[in-house]
Amino acid sequence: MSIGGSDLDKAIAQLRACRPIPENQVRELCYKARELLIEEGNVVGVDAPVTICGDIHGQFHDLMELFRVGGDVPDTNYLFMGDFVDRGFYSLESFLLLLCLKVRYPDRITLIRGNHESRQITTVYGFYDECVRKYGSANVWRYCCDVFDFLALGALVTGAATSLSPTEGPLAENAEAMPDIDADIEIETLNSAGEVMFRYARNSDSQTSESSQTLGSSPARPDPTPTRVGAAGTGASGSSNGTSRNEGGAVLCVHGGLSPLIDTIDKIRLLDRKQEVPHEGAMCDLLWSDPDDIDGWGLSPRGAGFLFGGDIVKRFNHNNDISLIARAHQLVMEGFKEMFDNTIVTVWSAPNYCYRCGNVAAILELGEDGSNAGFQRRSNGDRGGGGGGWVLGSNDGTSTRNSTDNLRLPEGPGRRYRVFEAAPQDSRGMPAKKPVADYFL
Amino acid sequence: MALSFQEPEGCAAIWDFVNAVQSQLQAMGHDDNLSDDLADSMGPIMLPSPDLGNLVEIENHMRTAIGTPGGREALAKFILNDKYILKLIPLVEMAEDLESLSDLHRLCSIMKMLVLLNDSAVMDYVVQDEVVLGVVGALEYDPDFPLHKANHRQYLSDQSKFKEVVRIEDQAIRKKIHHTYRLQYLKDVVLARILDDPTFGVLNSLIFFHQVEIVSHLQEDAQFMRSLFATFNPKEPSEQRKKDAVLMIQQCCTIAKNLQGASRAGLYQRFVGHGLMEVIQFALRNPDALVRVAGADILQALIDHDAMMVRGYIFKMIQDKVKPLTDTLIELLLVEADLGCKTLIGDIIKVLLDPNAIHQSLEALNRAPGDYLAKLRASFPPIHSDSFVQSYYEESVVKLFQPLRDLEGRESVDNLTIAEETLFSYLMEMLCFFLRSHYSRSKYVIMSNNLAVRVAQLLGSRKLIIKLGAVKFFRICLCLPDDFFLRQMISQRLFEPILQVVLDTMPRDNALNSACLEFFQSLTRDSLRDALKHVIFHYREKLEPITYVDTFQTLILKYDQYQEPVTTQELDHSFTSVDSGTPIRRGLVNGGKWGEGLREPDADEEAYFNTSDDEEEGLPNASIMNGVSPVRPLVNYPDDDGDDDMEDILATGTTVTPEPILRSQPEQAPTASSAEPVSPPERISEKRRREEEEDDELISIISSSGTKRKAAVQPSESSPNLQKLRRKNSMSHAKDSGAPRKISISIPLKSSGSEDDSNK
Repeated sequence: MSIGGSDLDKAIAQLRACRPIPENQVRELCYKARELLIEEGNVVGVDAPVTICGDIHGQFHDLMELFRVGGDVPDTNYLFMGDFVDRGFYSLESFLLLLCLKVRYPDRITLIRGNHESRQITTVYGFYDECVRKYGSANVWRYCCDVFDFLALGALVTGAATSLSPTEGPLAENAEAMPDIDADIEIETLNSAGEVMFRYARNSDSQTSESSQTLGSSPARPDPTPTRVGAAGTGASGSSNGTSRNEGGAVLCVHGGLSPLIDTIDKIRLLDRKQEVPHEGAMCDLLWSDPDDIDGWGLSPRGAGFLFGGDIVKRFNHNNDISLIARAHQLVMEGFKEMFDNTIVTVWSAPNYCYRCGNVAAILELGEDGSNAGFQRRSNGDRGGGGGGWVLGSNDGTSTRNSTDNLRLPEGPGRRYRVFEAAPQDSRGMPAKKPVADYFL
Repeated sequence: MALSFQEPEGCAAIWDFVNAVQSQLQAMGHDDNLSDDLADSMGPIMLPSPDLGNLVEIENHMRTAIGTPGGREALAKFILNDKYILKLIPLVEMAEDLESLSDLHRLCSIMKMLVLLNDSAVMDYVVQDEVVLGVVGALEYDPDFPLHKANHRQYLSDQSKFKEVVRIEDQAIRKKIHHTYRLQYLKDVVLARILDDPTFGVLNSLIFFHQVEIVSHLQEDAQFMRSLFATFNPKEPSEQRKKDAVLMIQQCCTIAKNLQGASRAGLYQRFVGHGLMEVIQFALRNPDALVRVAGADILQALIDHDAMMVRGYIFKMIQDKVKPLTDTLIELLLVEADLGCKTLIGDIIKVLLDPNAIHQSLEALNRAPGDYLAKLRASFPPIHSDSFVQSYYEESVVKLFQPLRDLEGRESVDNLTIAEETLFSYLMEMLCFFLRSHYSRSKYVIMSNNLAVRVAQLLGSRKLIIKLGAVKFFRICLCLPDDFFLRQMISQRLFEPILQVVLDTMPRDNALNSACLEFFQSLTRDSLRDALKHVIFHYREKLEPITYVDTFQTLILKYDQYQEPVTTQELDHSFTSVDSGTPIRRGLVNGGKWGEGLREPDADEEAYFNTSDDEEEGLPNASIMNGVSPVRPLVNYPDDDGDDDMEDILATGTTVTPEPILRSQPEQAPTASSAEPVSPPERISEKRRREEEEDDELISIISSSGTKRKAAVQPSESSPNLQKLRRKNSMSHAKDSGAPRKISISIPLKSSGSEDDSNK
C-alpha cells in the first residue's frame, strides 16, 4: 500500500475531486511528509519565482479557484503561509491535497505553519471534528497533527525581481491610469480573469510616496481617490506607495509576524520547532503576532503573540537585509494589504471567509530576477568567521537603531497581486459537512 | 454581566464612564430604554393559506415579520398553532411535478426563514416524522445554488443508518433518537452554511437535551443494560454485534462527557456494574482497529470521569494476582500497529501511571465512603504503602521501556523497521514525559535501567526523526531539578554522540540541526556551567572549526570567560592559583584555563566537580555572578533565547550594577536594548518572571502541551484557544459582553477591532 509514484498521483486526483483518501493512505502520506519536512530548515530557502498564499481555512473549492487563477502545481511554485485547516468544511481535503502536492513536488511547493496547525486550536475550530466525522475516529487528526509539528516556521524568498514585466493582459474595465509600459513596474494588481486593474511604477512622479495610493481596493470598484484605510480589526492604515531605489533584498514569509525575541532571521534557526505551538516564546509569536499602527510592541488582543509597529518592521528588515515581510493571519477584505511603507504585506487567500464574510482573496506573485545579479543566496553554510552570524546587530551600526526614519531599506520586489473571489457556486456542490454515517443514539 | 480587569486604572476608567453615561441618561429623563423592544410586540400574525400562487405574498409577509423580535415570536406561534408547515409541504411535490424552480426556491426561502426563526419549539417540530422529509425536501432547492439540488430526503429516509444493537422498547425514546439524529443532520449538513450563532446555539442545546434524556432513560432501563452487556457473552455468536455494542457504548460515553456530574456518575456506575471494564479489555484486544480505538476511547472517558475508580480496579487486579490493566495496555502499546490507537493508549498509560495520582487514589480508597468505593475497598485489604506505589510504578515503567532496554548489545540501530521507528519515537517521548512530570519517582528506574545510554544509542540511527527524539530527551535532561542525569551524561560522555549529530548534519539547515543548536545554545545558561566546561574541555578541537553558526564559538568564549578572570577568581577561590605553572595542555592558546591543568577527565573528578558546583545553584550562584561584576561585561555573552540574563534585567529593572555595558550591546535588541523607542510590552517581563519560577521555559511549554487533549486545553487560562473560545461565545454579543481580560483592556489600543479579524 505504498503511496509512491502513481498511487500518489491517484491520491492527488481523488483529493482534487474533494474526496478524502483512505486512512491507511493518509498514514503513509503523513509518514512521507514528515521525512521530507524534517529535512527543511526552520526558515526554508525558496527561490523566486514563487506565488505566496495566505490562509486557506479548509475552503477547498476556493483553493481550487486559487490554483486556477495562479496556475496549477507544478507549473507554478507555491508558498502557503499556514492556516490550511479549521472553519471551512473541507479542512481535511485541503490539507491532504497540499500535503500530497508537497510530497509529489517537494521543490515546487512550500508549506509553513500557521497558528491553526496545532492540536489545541484544531480541537476547537473544526478540524478535529471534521476528521472524526469523516473517518469515525481521531486517528487521521493525530497523523495530521504529527505533520504539523514538522512544518517550517517561515520561508525566505530570494532572487525576486525588483520590477515586473507588465502583464500583457487586457485592462480591466475600471482600471486606473497606467504608467508607461516601459516604466519600472513595482506593483500590479490583476483580477481573477487576468485583467490588469492597477499598475504602479516605482518612483513614478505622479504618485510620490507622499500621496499614498491605497492598494487593495475591491476589484469591482477600485477606489480612485487616495485614502488611508483604517481597516477594521487591524487598526492600521493601508497604503502602498513605491519604495525608493536601493539595494535589493529578500522576502521573509511567516504566518503571523515578528517576535521580540527574534531580531535576526538566523535566530529562528535556533528554535527546536518540533513541538506543539507553545503559548509564548519566539515560536508562538511568529505564528500569532500582528502588525499594528503602534510604536514598538504591544499586547495582542488574541492572547498570544504581540502587536508590532512599523518601526519594528523597518528595523528588522533593515537589519536582516530583507525588503518585505509577507504574512497572513488576518482577514483583509481586499485580499491583501501593504503597510508601513510597503515593508510588510498581509496576504489573505480565503475568499468569502467562513462562507459569509464577503471578502475577496489574493495571492502574491514574485517574479524571477533573471540575472539573479547582486544577490547572494542566503545560506547559513557559507557563513564564515565566528563573529558574524548570530550576534545581534552585526549588520548595522548602533546609530541607526533608534531612528527608523533614515533606515535605508532594500528595494522591494516587484509584486503582482492576483485578486479572486469565492469559487463560482456551480463549480462545487453546496458547502456542507458530511454527516455522521451510522448512529446508535 | 461581569467584567474583569487587569489593572485598577482600567477598571476605574470604565466605571467612571458608566457613571457618566448613567447620570446623563437620568438627566435626560429616559426612564426606560428597553421600551423600544416591548413596543414592537405586535398582535397575532395571520398568513394566507398557502398555494403555489401566493408564495411571494407569504414570503414577503414573513420577511416583514421576522424583522422584529415580537414579529418572530408571533410568527412562530402562528406556524405551530396553524400547523402551517404541514400545509406548505405538499406544495414542494406539486412544484416538483410542475418543475417550477422559482416556486421551489421560494418554498426553500420560506422554509429557511421558519427554521432560522430560532425558536426551539419550531425546531423541535420540523424534525417530527410527519414533516421532516417535507421540510428538508424544500430545503433541497437552495436559491443560492440554483443549479444544485441536495438529496437530504434520500439521506434521511434511509433507515439503515440507524443501528440498533439491542432493541429499544420505549417508542418515545426511539423517536427521540431519530429526532436527535435529524437535528444533527440539520446542523451539520442542511443548515451548515447559513447557521447564525443563535440558531446554532438553539440546535446545540436541543440536541444536548435530547441526548441527556436518551442516555438517562437507557441507564434506567435495566433490561436494556442487561441485554447490551449480554452481547459480550461468549455465547453470542455475532462478532459484528459485539463490535456494534462497543461502538454504541463509545457513543454513550461521548455523550456522557457533556452530562452533569451526577447523571454521568450514575451512567458509569451502571456501566461498570454490568462489566464495562471487561468490555474495554475485550475491545482493546479486538483485531479491528476501529474497535480498539473505541475501547481506548471509552477507557479514556472513564478515566476522565473517575480515574480513581479505574485505579481501584487495577489495584484489585494486582491483589487478585491477575495481570493488571496497565500491563495489558503496555503490551498493546508495544505491539499496536495503528498509530492513532497507539497514541491514545499511550496517553492513557501516562495518566494511569502517574505515581502521585496512584498514591492519592490509594489513600482515598482506604478511607473514602461511598457505595462503589466502599464495596471495592471491602474486597481487598487496604494497601497503604509508598512501597506499593513505587514498586507498581517501577515494574510498569520497566515493562514499558523494555524495547529500549533490549537495545543493549544491539550493534546497529541503522536498520530499524518503520514499526520500531514509531515505537522508539514514542517511547522517547514517554520518557521525556516521565522525567518531566514525575521526576522523583522515575529518575531511579530510568537511571538503573541505563535508559539514557540506550537513548544515546538511538542517536546513531539513520532516521532523523529518531535522532531528533533522542536530542529532545537529552535537552530535557539539561533542565531537570537536579543534575543526576547531567552527571551521567558527563560521565558516560553522552555529549559526544549529540555533537556527532551536529557534525553529521551541518551545515544542513534542518529540524534536527536546529534542535541540536538549541541544545548546545542552552549550555550558555549559568546553571549548566559544568556541562559547558565538560563539553569544551573534551571537544574543543571538534567545536572550534564549527563556524557556520555562532553557537559553538559563543560556548567557547563563555567557557574561556569562566576561566579567564583569574584575578577575580583568585579572590574567591584561591586554589585556582594552582593553575599557574601547570603546562597548558592540548595546545590551547587562550590563557587562563585554570581547570585544565588541574583536572583529568576522570569520573571521580568530574563527580567531585559537579557536586561542588551543585551548591552554587540558585541564588548563591547569582550572587557570585554579581560579585564578579567588574569583569562581568566581558563574560556576559548574551543568551539568545533570552533566559536568565535577560530575566534579571527585566525583572529587576536597570538598577543592577553589571548591566550598563550589557545594555549597550546590540544583542538585546527589540526588547530591552534600544529601550527608548521600543519599550518592551509588560507581558515580557511578566513572562520572564514566570519562566524564572519554572526554571526552564521548556518545561512549561512541554508540560502544557499536555498529554490528553482535554487536559491540555483546560489548565491554561490564557491559552490562545480558550481566549478564542470565549471570543467565539461572545461573538454575537459583540464587544460589550463579558470579554476576556486581555481584550477588554486592549480595546482602546485598537481603533476599530472587528471580531472577525482577530479571530483567525
